Amino acid sequence: MTAAGAVYDRGYRPYDGPRGGRGAARIALWRLSVRRALGLRRSWRQKVLPWGLLVIATIPAIVNVGVAYLTRDTPARDFSFITYRGYVGVSTALLLFVAVAAPDVVCPDRRHRVLTLVFARPLDGRDYVLAKVGAIATIVFGFAFLPHVVLFLGQMLVATEGALAYLTDHLDVLWRVPLAVALLTIYFASAGVAVAATTARRVVGGVAILALFLVATIVAGPLVAVAGGSSAWALLDLPALPLHLRDLVFLGQVDPDGPLGGVRAGGAGAIAAYVLVVTVSLGFLLLRYRGAGGE
Amino acid sequence: MLRAERLTLVYPGGVRALDDLTVEVPHGTVGLVGANGAGKTTLLRLALGQLPPSAGTIEVAGIPVATDPVGVRARLGYMPEHECLPLDVSAADLVATFGELAGLPPRAARQRASEVLDLVGLDEERFRPVAGFSTGMRQRTKLAQALVADPEVVLLDEPTAGLDPMGRAEMLALVGRLAGFGVSVLLATHLLDDVQRSCDHVLMLDGGRLRHAGATEALLDRTGSVRVEVDRDAAELAAALARRGCEASALDDAVLDVVVASDDVLDAVRDAVDDLGLALHALSSRRTSLDELFVDAP
Repeated sequence: MTAAGAVYDRGYRPYDGPRGGRGAARIALWRLSVRRALGLRRSWRQKVLPWGLLVIATIPAIVNVGVAYLTRDTPARDFSFITYRGYVGVSTALLLFVAVAAPDVVCPDRRHRVLTLVFARPLDGRDYVLAKVGAIATIVFGFAFLPHVVLFLGQMLVATEGALAYLTDHLDVLWRVPLAVALLTIYFASAGVAVAATTARRVVGGVAILALFLVATIVAGPLVAVAGGSSAWALLDLPALPLHLRDLVFLGQVDPDGPLGGVRAGGAGAIAAYVLVVTVSLGFLLLRYRGAGGE
Repeated sequence: MLRAERLTLVYPGGVRALDDLTVEVPHGTVGLVGANGAGKTTLLRLALGQLPPSAGTIEVAGIPVATDPVGVRARLGYMPEHECLPLDVSAADLVATFGELAGLPPRAARQRASEVLDLVGLDEERFRPVAGFSTGMRQRTKLAQALVADPEVVLLDEPTAGLDPMGRAEMLALVGRLAGFGVSVLLATHLLDDVQRSCDHVLMLDGGRLRHAGATEALLDRTGSVRVEVDRDAAELAAALARRGCEASALDDAVLDVVVASDDVLDAVRDAVDDLGLALHALSSRRTSLDELFVDAP
């Protein structure tokens, strides 16, 4: 052990290797944030939630493929308890991950005044927002998309009509799923990080994210019910908003049986509300970190 | 290292943190001294591009900060005064992280982190979480993250705060050597002794204005007086010198300071001592301290 308080001057070696500049700094901040959110290089407790959620999100795909395999030679062979469109809806559960991870990647930086050091590097506020939202979005996209890959490949392999036939029959899935998942990801990541950035305390940030979405659902529910089950009030249901866009991607229109089904220009309204939430979230974040890096 | 031209910063609310500061700071180890609120940290933050000036310009390493703050920061290291370390990571991870954020490849950042933590004396503690570190160890971790990317210029804000006397002396010795490694240092402190011990140039701020700037040696030689030590009757000797047209003041019964306005003054001292029958114990060129310079200067 070195003596406490001692500084040992053992020389200094200049660094003459490669330097990546601002681009490398951005990628580094994104990578380090992804690593933190996934609990990598941290205690096992920090790993439980993200990896547990990934497993849970993948279970329906595995079960569906398993059932399809077991029933492939029976009259129930076409049974499928989950659709690709429905599976995107399951990804809404990743909001729980966002409520934990988004505060974890931004709150400690403010609480421990680490931003002073971050913005002493070749980064500015825009880089910070991009890296943090990008990190959460990357993980949410991965966790939402990976089960679809499992489902698609599994269904393809056990399809009674053959893998190639299944692939050609479901080519649309190859663009609809990533697009719908990306819309859901951008929405949850930007809104989640924005709410988390309002506080320096992780717990408060997490509770605020869940409360915002929960209260929005609770408020929208009765309003839509009073209006007969279909009303523009459904646009207040924040967790459901990206699912309306998912329906636009998969069905070309909002779900006719859903709360926007009977609303004129319901699809346009859903797009407008979605864009509004994402724009306000990113705008707030840019304002929140504006000037910190001198931009 | 740094050049400011009529640099002014007025905070919202009207507080004038820097007022028309024009200065050229040479490469080397430069002390930035002043009382709390003198504008030291503000000047560092302006140099980092973290604050836009209200007026004037500032350049660091030849780059105008206003036009390329990110480019400037790529060449700087910064050690803030306040607590700024994430507590739930090890020193090695922390320093490597800031190496990567400076643009170093991950492998190089870890290698550099290991080297600079060794340099600051945290080699064996580098895998411990920062939360368990003492104040002195945190100061050294802050210094390590400032040095990890081998900056051209490193801005140190009160680096000896919280260190014990031995740690402080060693930290100052290390800071004093950085210029020899090609790293220029701007050391902000209110401890004038730190500057006197480790810096070859001094910038002295007071109320946001420049009070002194120059080589430390030159500033310390500005007194132009000698200290005279005799066996007794220093007051009588001072009076005798005054009668010979010299400016002298007795500090106690055996010590007096005499202003050397010309070479004749030293002859006058010799003659007055002889006339009074005093024993001359010592006569030395008196150098002021930065404290005196700071307190006495207009």
